[in-house]
Amino acid sequence: MISIERSLVTPRWQRIALPIASLFIASIIAGIVLAVSGHDPIGTYQQIYDASFTSAGALTATFVYATPLLFTGLAVALAFRMRVWNIGGEGQLYMGAVGASGVGLLLGGWPQPLLILMMMLGGALAGLLWAMIPGLLRAYLRTNEILVSLMLNYVAGLFMYYLIYDSTSYWRDTTSASALVFPQGKDLLPAADWPGIVFGSFTMPFGFIAGGVFAVALLALIRFTRFGFEMRVMGDSSAAANYAGMRTRRTIVTVMALSGAMAGLGGASQIGDFGHVLDPRGLQQAGYGYTGIVVAALAMYNPLAVVIVSILIGALTNAGFALQGPTFPIGLVGTMEGIILFSVLGGEFLGRYRIRFGRAPEPAPSVDDEAGAEVAR
Amino acid sequence: MNVDVVVSVAVSAIAYGTPLVLAGLGELLAERSGVLNLGVEGMMLIGAVTAFFASQVLPGPGWAVLIAAIVAAAAAGAALALIHAFLSITVRVNQIVSGLALTIFAGTIGLSSYAGHVWGVGGQHGLHQLVKLDVLGLSGVPIVGPILFNQDAFVYASWGLVALVTYYLYRTRFGLYLRAVGESPRSADAMGINVSRYRYVHTIVGGAFAGLGGAYFTLAIAPIWTDGLTAGAGWIAIALVIFAFWRPGLLVVGAYLFGALSSLGFTLQANGVQLPSELFSSLPYVMTVVVLAVASTTMAQRRIGAPAALGVPYVREEG
Amino acid sequence: MDSRADRVSAASAESATAGSPPAVAAVGVTKRFAGGVVANDRVSFEARQGEVHALLGENGAGKTTLCNILTGLYRPDEGEVRVNGNPVRLHSPHEAQAAGIFMVHQHLSLVDSLTVAENVVLGWSRHGGLGFSARTVEAEIEEIASRYQMAVDPRARIWQLSLGERQRVDILKALYRGASILILDEPTTVLTPSEIEQLFSSVREMVAGGRTVIFISHKLPEVFAIADRTTILRRGRSMSTLEIAETDARQLARLMVGHEMSFDVHPRATSVESEPAPAVPPVLALDGVHVRGDFGIDALKDLSLAISAGEILGIAGVSGNGQRELAEVVAGLRPFSRGTIRIGGENVVSGDPRDAINRGVANIPEDRMGTGVSPNLSVAENLILKSYRSSSPHAGPMLLMRQAEAQATALMARFDIRAPSPRTLVRQLSGGNVQKVVLARELSSGPRLVIAASPTRGLDVGATEYVRSVLVDAAKQGAAIMLISEDLDEIVELSDRIAVLYEGRVVGVVDAATASYEQLGLMMAGATS
Repeated sequence: MISIERSLVTPRWQRIALPIASLFIASIIAGIVLAVSGHDPIGTYQQIYDASFTSAGALTATFVYATPLLFTGLAVALAFRMRVWNIGGEGQLYMGAVGASGVGLLLGGWPQPLLILMMMLGGALAGLLWAMIPGLLRAYLRTNEILVSLMLNYVAGLFMYYLIYDSTSYWRDTTSASALVFPQGKDLLPAADWPGIVFGSFTMPFGFIAGGVFAVALLALIRFTRFGFEMRVMGDSSAAANYAGMRTRRTIVTVMALSGAMAGLGGASQIGDFGHVLDPRGLQQAGYGYTGIVVAALAMYNPLAVVIVSILIGALTNAGFALQGPTFPIGLVGTMEGIILFSVLGGEFLGRYRIRFGRAPEPAPSVDDEAGAEVAR
Repeated sequence: MNVDVVVSVAVSAIAYGTPLVLAGLGELLAERSGVLNLGVEGMMLIGAVTAFFASQVLPGPGWAVLIAAIVAAAAAGAALALIHAFLSITVRVNQIVSGLALTIFAGTIGLSSYAGHVWGVGGQHGLHQLVKLDVLGLSGVPIVGPILFNQDAFVYASWGLVALVTYYLYRTRFGLYLRAVGESPRSADAMGINVSRYRYVHTIVGGAFAGLGGAYFTLAIAPIWTDGLTAGAGWIAIALVIFAFWRPGLLVVGAYLFGALSSLGFTLQANGVQLPSELFSSLPYVMTVVVLAVASTTMAQRRIGAPAALGVPYVREEG
Repeated sequence: MDSRADRVSAASAESATAGSPPAVAAVGVTKRFAGGVVANDRVSFEARQGEVHALLGENGAGKTTLCNILTGLYRPDEGEVRVNGNPVRLHSPHEAQAAGIFMVHQHLSLVDSLTVAENVVLGWSRHGGLGFSARTVEAEIEEIASRYQMAVDPRARIWQLSLGERQRVDILKALYRGASILILDEPTTVLTPSEIEQLFSSVREMVAGGRTVIFISHKLPEVFAIADRTTILRRGRSMSTLEIAETDARQLARLMVGHEMSFDVHPRATSVESEPAPAVPPVLALDGVHVRGDFGIDALKDLSLAISAGEILGIAGVSGNGQRELAEVVAGLRPFSRGTIRIGGENVVSGDPRDAINRGVANIPEDRMGTGVSPNLSVAENLILKSYRSSSPHAGPMLLMRQAEAQATALMARFDIRAPSPRTLVRQLSGGNVQKVVLARELSSGPRLVIAASPTRGLDVGATEYVRSVLVDAAKQGAAIMLISEDLDEIVELSDRIAVLYEGRVVGVVDAATASYEQLGLMMAGATS
C-alpha cells in the first residue's frame, strides 16, 4: 500500500534545487505552449533573453521594471513572514507616490541630496501611515487585515485619481499647454530626478540601489536583531510568542508600518527615478503592489532572493513590452509568469512530501507547520 | 432632479452592474466555502475573450451561437478556477498568492491577451450581440419600463441567478452545509460533510460565474475585444462581496450602486453639485472598513462577519 | 434527586426482563497505539437497555478510547463490539450512528453562527431531499425538547447560548437522529448546578423510554445521583461492574486509583525533615483567586494555596478540574478576577506573562510543541526564547547568535539534549529532547518558581526519569515547584505536599508522606464529606 506522508526535514540542497527544477519544468511547459501556438520556443527564449539583458539599453530597461517590484516585494516579504497578510502594497505605493511628489514639488529648490532624502522620507511616511490603518485594526481590534488593506487599495487609487483628474490640487498641472487638453500632474523640477549609477553599458536606478541596501538591512533586521527574533517567533507560533512574554500587538503594528514604508518607497521611486510626475493611470495599470506579492512568494519571503526575483520578473516584463508586436504577443509575458509561478508553487508541494511504500504507522503527533515552515526560514 | 436623468442612471447602473453581479455571486460562493479567490479579474477576461471568439467562429443561428459562447465562457472560467482550487485546497498554497498568480497568468498581459492574439480576434467587430428584449410589451411604461422590462436576457438571467443563489444558501440543505464549511470546517467535517469537495465545487462554480460576467462585456456591452477589457471589474466584484457581507441581496444592491455612482458623479457635477465623484466612489470602501472594524469587536461579528474560515486552509488533525 | 431506593426497584424490574441481551457491549476489547501505549486491555463492558451506566475512571483509564471504539472512531485490535447481542463492525461514526450509538463529546462541534435547528440537521436530515424547511425542523426539535425536558429555542444562534444550552443542542442532535444508546463524556464539566439537575431529569426521561445512557465521569456524587450500575476502568483494564445500590464511595475510589497496599516510602518524604517553619513568605501564594475559563464559566473558584522555597507541591486531580487554568494564571497567561496572587510576597500583574517571567517564574507547559517552543526555530533560538531580552550577551538591539549558540552548546551538554547541533530545528527532535530544551531554558535561569504541567507525558522511561530528577534537583536548589500531573503515582513520588483540585477548588491538601491513595481518590472524585 502506498501512502504519502509529510516529510519533516527539507534538506538544504532540496531548498535550492527545487525552485531551480521548477523553473526548468516551467520553461518546458511554456515551450510547449509556444510550440502549440505556432511560435518557436528556443527562438522566443533567445529573443526574451536578448531583450531583457543583452541588447542595447535592455538591462537598463529591465531595472526600470524591477525597481518597483523590489520595493513591493520587500514589503510583502517582511509582512507575510509574520503571517500579517498585507495586500495593501498597491495602495501604499500610490500614497508613497503622492507623498514623494508632493514633497518634491514643495521643496523643489533644495540641494539635491537633501531633496532626494526628503522625497524618500515623504514616500515612506505616506505608505507607513496608510499601512498603519489595517495594522492597528488587526493588532487591537483583530480585524481581518486582508480585507481592510484590500479596501484601502481602492480608496488610495480613487484619491490619486481625484488629485490629478478631478480637482485643482497642488499636484495638478493647470498651466502647461498639454495640461489644458488632458488632466495631468505637475512635472517635478530636474533637481528632483534621482541619479542613476552608470555601469558601463547600463544604468542602475538610484532606487534599485537603495532597495538593495534596504534588502540587506531587512535581512539583518530579521536575522540579527531582537525585533527580528520576535518577528520570527510570532510568525512561527503565536502561542509560543505569547508564552515568552512578547508584546505581539506592538510587533504587528511595527511590521505593518515597515511594510507600508517599503511600498511607499516604491512609490517614491516611481516619481524620483522614473516618471517625475504623478501618473495615476500608469500606476494603476502597472499593478506593482499585487505583482510584488507574487515576487515575494517566489522568493520564499527572503529579502535577498526578492532582489533576484524582482530582476527576473522585471526582465520578463521588459522583454514583453520591448518585443511586443505581431510576432510577439504581449500576452506571453503573463502566461509565462503564471506558468513559472504554478510550477514553483506546485514544486513546493512535492518537496514537502515523500511517498512511502507499506502501511503507514498509526497517527503520530501532528505538527501543523505548513506556513511556519516556509516563513520562519 | 430630472426623471429622465434618474432613469438613464438606473439603466446604465444595470448595464455596468451586471458583470459585477455575476462575478460577485461566484466570488460569494467561493468565499462562503472559505476560499478567497483573487483571480476573478483573470477569469473574467478569459471568459470575455472565449465568449467573443466562440461567437465569431461558431456557425448557426444567433441565439444558438450566443448560448454556446456563454457556455464556453463559463467553462473557461471554471477551468482556471480549477487551478486555483487545486493549489489552495490540495497543495495548501497561500490563497492570496495563488489567486494573484492566476490574475497575472490570465490577465491583461497574460493568457487572455495571448488567446486573443492567437485567435486573431483583436480589432474584429462582434457578429452576435445580446439584444434588449421587450418583456410583456411593457418597455414603454414610464420610468419602470426601460429599467425593468427592456433588458437583455443576460440581465434577467442574472436576476434569476441571484434568486437561485439566495434560495440555495438559505433554504437548501447544501447551502446550509456550505455555510457550515465556511464558518467552521472542523464541525462540518465532524458532521460528515466533505470540506474539500465543497470548497472545490464552489470555487469552480465561482470561476464559471466570473467567466459569465466577462462574457457580458463582449456579448452585450460592446462587440469588441481588447486586452484588459474588463478594466478592473473583477477587483470591484471582490470588494463588492465584502461590502455585501457575503449576502446575495446586498450584493445586487451594491453592484448597481457601484454602477450608478460612476454616472452619478458626472450627473451631479452637471447639475452644479461640486462634490467630487471619487468621494462617492470611495464611500462604499470606507464604510466597509468601518463596519469590519466595528464588527470585529462586538458580538455582531457573528451575524455579519466574514466566514470565519475564509482564507485558512483546512487540515484535518490526525488521531 | 430521586432516592436511590426508587431507582433500585426500577433497576431490578429491568433485570427481571431476563434474557434480553445488553443494548451495547464491548467484549475483550484491546486497543493499542503507536509507542506501545495500550489504551484498552481486554476490556469487557456492557450496558443494558433502559439503564444509566456510569463509566468511572481517572485520567488515562481508557474510558474515552473505549467509547471512541463504541462510536466507530477507532477499530479494536482485538475483541468485538456487540449491539443487542449481535457483533458489529463499526468502521466509522456514521455506521455507529446507524446502529443508534451516539456520543456527546466534551468539546462540542457546533457552528456558532448557525441556528440550533440548522446545527441539528447539519450533515443529516430526516427528510432527505433538497429543501430545508426551517419551520418543520424547528417544530420537530421543539417536540423532542419538550418530551425530554430540555428547554431550547430552535431559532436561537449558537453563539447566543450558554454552554449548558449548547450541550442540550448536542444531545438533541443525537435524539433527533434516533439515538438509542447515548454516551455522554463528562457532561457536567460545563454545567451549573441547576443545569446538572435538568440534565439528570432529561437523562431519566430518556432511559424511561427504553434508551441506554452511558455516562463517563470521575465524579462520585453525580454517579450516585444518576447511575444504576457502574463499570470502573483503571489503566486500560476493566476492574469491576457494580450495582450502584450495592456499593459506596470508598469502594469505588479504591477501585479507581488502585493500590490496595499502602505505598512504599519514597525518596522525597525521607529528605524532608521537620524543619523549623520558614519565616520568609511563601514563594507563591494564591488567595481566593477566581479565574474565568474559556467559555465564560469559572475554571477556578476561590482558590487558595501556597508553596514555599524548596518545596514540591503536587496538584492532583482528574484533568478538566482547573489544572490548566491554574498553570496559566500563575504564569500570567490568563487573567484572574478577585483574590490575589503573590510571588515572593509581591502582588503580580494579572494576565501579563512578562511580569511573571521577570519575577522568576518558569513555566514548563503541558503543550510543549504548541506553546513551549517555536518548532521551526533552532535549539539555540529556543533556548533564548525568553532571555533574549536581557542585555548579556546581546548588545543593544542586536542579537549575537554566535554567543547564543555557544551558550546553547553548553546547555545541551548539561541537560543531555541529543541533537546534531544547536542549529537543529526543534521540530526535528524527539519528544524527550524537546522537553529537555524546555527544561534547559526554564531551569537554567535559576527561577524562584517552576510550574511543571504534565512534564513527563508522552516521554519514554529514560526521559521521564531524567525530567523527574531535574525537577527534584531544582527543588533542592531552592526553587518552589508546582507539579501538575495526571499521573497520581508521579505526584505521590515527587511531592512534599499534595493539593487536590476538584471543580476549580482545592478540596484538600495532604502531606505526601502520610496520604493514602484511597484518600486521594476520594478527593479527586469529589466524595469528601
